[in-house]
Amino acid sequence: MLKYILKRLLIFIPTLIVISLLTFVISQKAPGDPVENMLNRNQGGEGQAAAKIAGEKAYMRKRSELGLDLPVFYFSISNATSTDTLYRIPKSSHRETLERLAWDYGNWDHVATYYRSVRSFELDLYNFNKTPSTAETITKVKEYVNLLYLTYEESKIKSILNNIESEFRGTKSFLDLNGGFNSIRNTFENIVHSQNISNRYIPNVHWYGFNNQYHRWFFHFIQGDFGISYQDQRPVSSALWDALKNTLSISLLSILLAYLLAIPLGISTAVHKGTRKEKIITTTLFILYSLPVFWIATLTVFFFCCGDYWCWFPAPGTAPIPEDAPLLYQFGEWLYRMALPLLCLTYGSLAFISRQMRGGMINILGQDFIRTARAKGLEESKVVNKHALRNSLIPIITLFANVFPAAIAGSIVVEHVFNIPGMGKLTIDAINARNYPVIFSTMMCTAVLTMIGNLVADILYAMVDPRISFTSKS
Amino acid sequence: MNILRRILFPFSSGDKALEKIQEKTDQSFWGNVKKQYRRNRLAMFAFYFIVFLASIALLADFIANEKPLACSYKGNTYFPVFRSYAVDLGISNWPADLQNATWKELEYDWVVFPPVPYLPKNTDVANSQFKSPFDEQEVKSWRWKHHLGTDDIGHDVLSSMIHGTRTAMLVGLISMFIASMIGIILGSLAGYFGDQRLKASRASILFIILFLLFGLFYAFSSRSYILSESFSQGLSVFFVQLLLSLVILAAFLGMGYLVAKPFKKIPFLGVKVNIPVDIMISRLFEVMYSIPTLFLIISISAIIEKPSIYVVMVIIGFTSWPGIARFIRAELLRVRSLEYIEAAQAMGFSEFRIIFKHAIPNALSSVFIALAFGIASAILTEAFLSFLGVGVPPEQLTWGTLLAMARTTPTAWWLAIFPGFAIFITVTIFNLAGDGLTEALDPRLRK
Repeated sequence: MLKYILKRLLIFIPTLIVISLLTFVISQKAPGDPVENMLNRNQGGEGQAAAKIAGEKAYMRKRSELGLDLPVFYFSISNATSTDTLYRIPKSSHRETLERLAWDYGNWDHVATYYRSVRSFELDLYNFNKTPSTAETITKVKEYVNLLYLTYEESKIKSILNNIESEFRGTKSFLDLNGGFNSIRNTFENIVHSQNISNRYIPNVHWYGFNNQYHRWFFHFIQGDFGISYQDQRPVSSALWDALKNTLSISLLSILLAYLLAIPLGISTAVHKGTRKEKIITTTLFILYSLPVFWIATLTVFFFCCGDYWCWFPAPGTAPIPEDAPLLYQFGEWLYRMALPLLCLTYGSLAFISRQMRGGMINILGQDFIRTARAKGLEESKVVNKHALRNSLIPIITLFANVFPAAIAGSIVVEHVFNIPGMGKLTIDAINARNYPVIFSTMMCTAVLTMIGNLVADILYAMVDPRISFTSKS
Repeated sequence: MNILRRILFPFSSGDKALEKIQEKTDQSFWGNVKKQYRRNRLAMFAFYFIVFLASIALLADFIANEKPLACSYKGNTYFPVFRSYAVDLGISNWPADLQNATWKELEYDWVVFPPVPYLPKNTDVANSQFKSPFDEQEVKSWRWKHHLGTDDIGHDVLSSMIHGTRTAMLVGLISMFIASMIGIILGSLAGYFGDQRLKASRASILFIILFLLFGLFYAFSSRSYILSESFSQGLSVFFVQLLLSLVILAAFLGMGYLVAKPFKKIPFLGVKVNIPVDIMISRLFEVMYSIPTLFLIISISAIIEKPSIYVVMVIIGFTSWPGIARFIRAELLRVRSLEYIEAAQAMGFSEFRIIFKHAIPNALSSVFIALAFGIASAILTEAFLSFLGVGVPPEQLTWGTLLAMARTTPTAWWLAIFPGFAIFITVTIFNLAGDGLTEALDPRLRK
């Protein structure tokens, strides 16, 4: 048994790695610049060179703090238009533009020179001694330069350059800037003239080693460090831990309830198959099975939670239970508040489990050994409870692997509708705020939870059914 | 009815007379299944209801529309709903005086409006701010009443629900189409070959992997910008580009196969080794089962900058194939040891011909069950996503978005009850059909 569990745990590792890769890929595609999201600061526009440099320094510091100045993955596969040092360019928006420019013209070196000349021109702009008469123009040109960082189409870049030129025209005080501006022009002309698209079709593989973003993120995740939330700058793990407690307590309780109710229901409907009572129960269960949780949750909140109708249960989001209250009161109050969420979370799995239980029981009751048991004169109750029940429980236990993820998923709905601070609400709030570290941490955590649920189901299965031996079977 | 039956049971024999004989003698498998399915009254009801929903989805423009079905305006007879299809296709044009007409306010000689004279995207300003079905509504007559009320800015709920049917059906169809394509291919490979039966020489494994990598590079990595830009130009352009990428990939695989041929003569590279297809694909199942699908869908939808219902369909399709694949795998494990497959092998048919022509058709019955339940859950997932407001654009009125509005407005009971009921009925109907099929296909459950 121990050997089996160890073996099962070993399978855990590749699955976890695949899931982490998937999550990481999705998180890489998340729009926006994570550092800017954290700093939440506007750059460019007004300000002197010193302020600009200080801002960039703060940006770089945060970036290396988050490990975002590292290569993304162990290796990169790209085409020869791009470079393997692209990750060193700080801003993701600049990176995207440069990559695209390189792809369009197939010559990274020229693109890099162009980028450098734009950067130095921007610095010139910040260093420029402004007079009241020129300040407005400088601000405008700064905006154009910012646009240059985001543009890759030839015609648009040219029109931006023309705009800058027309801003400068006729004013002698801008003569100092002309050198920088002309070098942008020239470097861009170089890009266009040396276009070499064939580079797109030359693969370029580069190995970066273990000091990379994925490696760092994955090992931090295993150690319980999930990153820092954009919203409140708090470690994600502490928010997640609080949420997890709420989610697990209601979903596990609801699974327990579902099993406790479903097994006797399933047995009695199987034993009394064909009677009118059984038909009513079976139909009801079928309807319950198809009722969408989010609809029922909405309806119960709508009608029973102090809206315009009845006020039988507290409205969602009532003040938390005081912690100094007696334990029994706390528990009672918690149950009272959780009654409707629990109901919504339970009825679906209740219907599912009891349907399966009924099917399994009917199957078992038709088998030969039950006929034998009856033939030797056993009471019906003994036949059912002792002989049939044990055998029909086996598939029901493996259902845990289906019910557990469903309960976690169901908790998204219930927490959203009833305003319970759990994983689901955390995720949805994070999505609305585009708070990606939280989204991907909850995804990883729910995946790990689901895997644990599958493991528990497998182990239970092995414990219940003596026929299954996992040690050596081909 | 016969055509519809054909759609549902496309593998029944084509000849009508033969079909009848088969039905009578109870010889054909599908004839038997049909007979069993028809005996189940609830399942038959579900089938008719699916047909009903499908026709609402198809005819939504004729049932709920602001344009008249037919009218006579200034002496000319028009069929504006039909004509708008033609205009969309670029075949026809609107006459100048009808170009930007407000159809409701024109003075017609005579006019036939659709049963519900509203479009979901347009608003009735006079009846905004949540008019209940029983409220006094500012309409010309009973004919123009909002029978299921309106929402905050005056969308007609009934019309939104009718057009929402189309969205729901499309979600079910498209996502299950994607899921069954992936599921059937992977499941049949795993089930038919198992761990022992697929053998390949080391040379071909080596070269096919090598050329697969190159193929992926040239088909997707080199064309990444072309692909991503075509997506914004429209779905058809995107599919053409995607097809081109797939053709490139296939060409590379073919090249790998050809290049490997001479290398097979080298003793070491020519050795045939087993490819454990089943283990590999089963690991993939496990990964898919370990990912909480809903969280995955939510996370993917969260990073998409331009939310679209089609993206949601694709995501649902790509995450729900394991159910179908598992069914097919189990069926093919059974089918592959049957004698007729052995006979086909003895006749020297290629493995892929056996799989696709002989093995899969025999295993498809179970896919129908998985499809029925899959459509139900896809519709439910889409409704749930739009309920949360994730991945579905806010201007797209679906059953889920209507229901979500009820959550924020605790007085609008009609928004809480009708859309939810539509979701519930649709899901139930597909589940019932799935149940009926299970029963009809399983000889143990037959009466």
